[in-house]
Amino acid sequence: MNTVARSERWSGYALLTVMAIVVVIPFLSVFLASLQPAGTPVVGLTWPERWSWDNYETAWSVAGFSDLIRHSLVIAVGVVPACLVLAALAGYALGTMRLPGGNATAAFFVAGLTIPVELIVVPLYFDLRTVGLTNSYLGVILVEIALFMPFSVFWMRTHFRSTPMSLVEAARIDGASSGTILVRILLPLARPSLMTLGLLVFMWSWNQFLLVLVLIQDTTKHTAPAGLGFFVGQNSTDIPTLAAGTIIVMLPILILFVVFQRSFLAGLLQGATKG
Amino acid sequence: MASRPPVVEGAPRSRERRVRGRSRWRGYVYVLPALAVYLVFAVLPALHTAYLSLFEWDGVTLGDWVGLDNYAEIFQDPILRRSVVNALVLVVFFSFVPIVLGLLSTGLLARHRRPGMGAYRFLFMLPQVVPLVAVGVTWRWLYGDDGVVNQALRAVGLDGAARAWLGDFDAALVAVGLVGTWVLSGLCMMLFLSGVQKVDPSLYEAARIDGAGPVREFTAVTLPHLRGELAVAMTVTTVAALASFDIVYVTTNGGPGEQTTVPGLLVYRLAFSEGKVGLAAALAVVLGCLILAIVYLINRLSRSES
Amino acid sequence: MDRTHRVRRRVAATACALALVLPLAACEALTPGSATAVPGPTAVPSSTAVPDGDVTLRLQFADAPLMVDALIAAFEKGHPGIDVEPQYKSFSDYVQNLRLTMTSDTAPDIAQYAVGMTDLAADGHVLDLAPWREAYGWDEAVPPVSLDQLTGGRTSEATGGRALFGVPAGLSMTGIYYNKELARRAGIEAPPKTLAEFEEQLAAAEDAGLTPLGVGALDSGGLHLWAALLNQLMPTDAYWDWVNGKKGATMENPAAIEASELIVEWGRKGYYNESANGTAQVDSTAQFAKGDSVFLINGNWAAGQLATAMGDRVGFFPMPGEKADSPTVASGFSVSYAVSSLSRHPEAAGVFLDFLTSPEAGQIISDNGFLPPNPDAVKKPTGVLADIADGHRRAVADDGITTFPDFAAPAMLDRLRSGVQKLIADRVTPADYLDSLQDEWEDHHGE
Repeated sequence: MNTVARSERWSGYALLTVMAIVVVIPFLSVFLASLQPAGTPVVGLTWPERWSWDNYETAWSVAGFSDLIRHSLVIAVGVVPACLVLAALAGYALGTMRLPGGNATAAFFVAGLTIPVELIVVPLYFDLRTVGLTNSYLGVILVEIALFMPFSVFWMRTHFRSTPMSLVEAARIDGASSGTILVRILLPLARPSLMTLGLLVFMWSWNQFLLVLVLIQDTTKHTAPAGLGFFVGQNSTDIPTLAAGTIIVMLPILILFVVFQRSFLAGLLQGATKG
Repeated sequence: MASRPPVVEGAPRSRERRVRGRSRWRGYVYVLPALAVYLVFAVLPALHTAYLSLFEWDGVTLGDWVGLDNYAEIFQDPILRRSVVNALVLVVFFSFVPIVLGLLSTGLLARHRRPGMGAYRFLFMLPQVVPLVAVGVTWRWLYGDDGVVNQALRAVGLDGAARAWLGDFDAALVAVGLVGTWVLSGLCMMLFLSGVQKVDPSLYEAARIDGAGPVREFTAVTLPHLRGELAVAMTVTTVAALASFDIVYVTTNGGPGEQTTVPGLLVYRLAFSEGKVGLAAALAVVLGCLILAIVYLINRLSRSES
Repeated sequence: MDRTHRVRRRVAATACALALVLPLAACEALTPGSATAVPGPTAVPSSTAVPDGDVTLRLQFADAPLMVDALIAAFEKGHPGIDVEPQYKSFSDYVQNLRLTMTSDTAPDIAQYAVGMTDLAADGHVLDLAPWREAYGWDEAVPPVSLDQLTGGRTSEATGGRALFGVPAGLSMTGIYYNKELARRAGIEAPPKTLAEFEEQLAAAEDAGLTPLGVGALDSGGLHLWAALLNQLMPTDAYWDWVNGKKGATMENPAAIEASELIVEWGRKGYYNESANGTAQVDSTAQFAKGDSVFLINGNWAAGQLATAMGDRVGFFPMPGEKADSPTVASGFSVSYAVSSLSRHPEAAGVFLDFLTSPEAGQIISDNGFLPPNPDAVKKPTGVLADIADGHRRAVADDGITTFPDFAAPAMLDRLRSGVQKLIADRVTPADYLDSLQDEWEDHHGE
């Protein structure tokens, strides 16, 4: 019994470790390549003879990744708060009030979870161009908010439904308006949920590619993924600089993931299953 | 929204109901902003796509109404048809393989609490959070002549097997698919493992007392409790496969030949560089319907079984 | 659960119904696009007067940013009243959106000539510059073949002569680079005189255990090779007709079959770098510079890089013809600029375009690795740059500069790229490949 359990335990760890290595090697490979001297040919996993951060400097200033990162941040800063506010409001009403047709409305939002960017991007380009919202961060921000709204509303609704109704009832009897109840009582309790949602929305916004590729034609206004997508086409020979650029594009989201691991995992794993 | 509560004239009880009714509708004030943005920038564009798909339009001059001709072309044109088939092949690598891997590892790991799981969880979720474009750029290099994949093959003496994977007619689609496997396997595994933790431990004990081995235990206890997680994993991964664009765009751009051409790529090309907006819209609609149908089917199946 | 389910279905049904009803209810106003009649090409006025006051021209382009910056700096020094504001886009992005850009209200004053410009010219979105041919003396300053690529196959309504929709800055040409050391090792002493001799040299390189020919077929390298072979085998006029979309032109002809078969045959014989289909042009160039292959198919745009990396060890020749005395024919184009019909300062744009034909601009162009339209006005280049200049001179003298085949239709680039990849991997018969090109051609030129 004991030996069986032990062998099982070790085989489990062995499996986990093999999988972990498979996950890590690509990241490691890019990281090591980014430390090689710029312009040199790199083969697979090669330990750099001398650690050099020059490629990061080149990518950051010369290849313009600092601008790309800034543009991505501008968009994310527009998208995240708006998503949180809109979703909190809608989730509150759909989760705690018995709205006529409330379930249908909630279902209408949920149906949007299946909308791929491909389905909306073609008319969006032409429609937004007519109103001058192409080549504009505002256009991208509005569309991203709309794209993330189904999940956000669903997430906040799930949250508010799970808060004890007695709190709301008690406040209502005290004569608090629905707005007061939300701001004073429910939102402070919703901090963890909002936090998780904010992180997820930030991640999706940061990673969005196709939408930006179409709506932002002016390459000087590109975001980090779009810029990287173009950079690879023009500089695929200079692996070290390309690798440094790739790391720079991943870094902000990686830092957030390290710091807020718990919230991220909660969102990624529970967000989906609660449906 | 324009909808109002039904007003019943005359009846004495109706006033109270009307007041209550109105106050109930008032809650929509909170929903309205979210609904408005969602309608204007997601739902209407989707409908607009369906509308555009009925035209032959170059994006500039006046379009021609062609009815369902664009849809007919999707089923006739070998390249367009090929793209849909490729997307379905990707489902195998983005969805089927990660789910099987996830289930296998869950079967192996479910019986014990393991210290150090947190670190593994962190690693396995990593591919899930970084931009797919960065993932694509990374793998483009890993698959290259001098990449890790060939380096590993040469290290074990398989020099003959080394090649530029993304430029090889037989290997390219599989290579792209395996990137999806790499991204999504961790997510599936973590979903299942967190699902298993909700299973009452006494069920496992009972199974063990009955003399169930790991396999029986898995099929009798673990699997039935993971139905919800399975549905989620299938939905998320299938949508990722069918709507794949980022990875393909940066790794192969659809080549070699049309080996890795996917619908997303063609929607982009047809609409914005080839001036076939209607056809692009039709393809987008087909893609959207395919996703909707599969998601509906998955949810239907997972519900009817429970 | 069940209730939301039903509701969900109802929502879906409503959405479907909406999607169906909307178009039925649609009247003319909902038809996408604008019916504004397009008048056809408009010509510039024949006057060349320099406008008074300060003018800003927006220039959108996709090639050689360093060269453009230098040209603008030199131009602005001589013309203080005219500012040129450059807007650089990557080539794929530029080509992808050219049509949308040039038809929008915010079209730039000057735009680099690229695939799709012919159609834009026909629809009147770029100006016919023909009156300035004489007024500025461009017919003398620029070799006729370079201007002929910019006529869109049309006659000017203003002058009755050939139309002109752009003015070239640097010219380009594709051909074969060779590594002199590796060539010697394979017993190759001089550039081939005929196509057959080139094939012998490829075989010799193969026999010597070297990779004969580097091709970057992941993007455009394959189509350059195919076009280079086609140029030798297909009558140049027939090729021009096809690219220009002339009624009745076809790519399904014996010469094109032969060219395509050569691509397949060379693949079967193992002449290409092993992963040609997975290699981008820039990568194939870098590999060639490292000494990975004896020959390389690419354009003059790679010359600067190769000259720096390889010095005297690299040479260049245009793809040789069937016979030693066959005319030199090579695909090439130019970094040329067109003027939008929405530009409010076409005269100022004309001054800038004229500057591009000056000796001063020619020197800047030459220094940046491109071929100036008027080579006599610049210092003689050396090394591989001299080989290219020489090859270009011969091609121009033989009236043998043809445009790239992807100019035939907007979607042709994709058909050519994936088609040649299939030829290289022996996955398609030449006949089927040409059939797919012709389908695309007919789709676009409406037959």
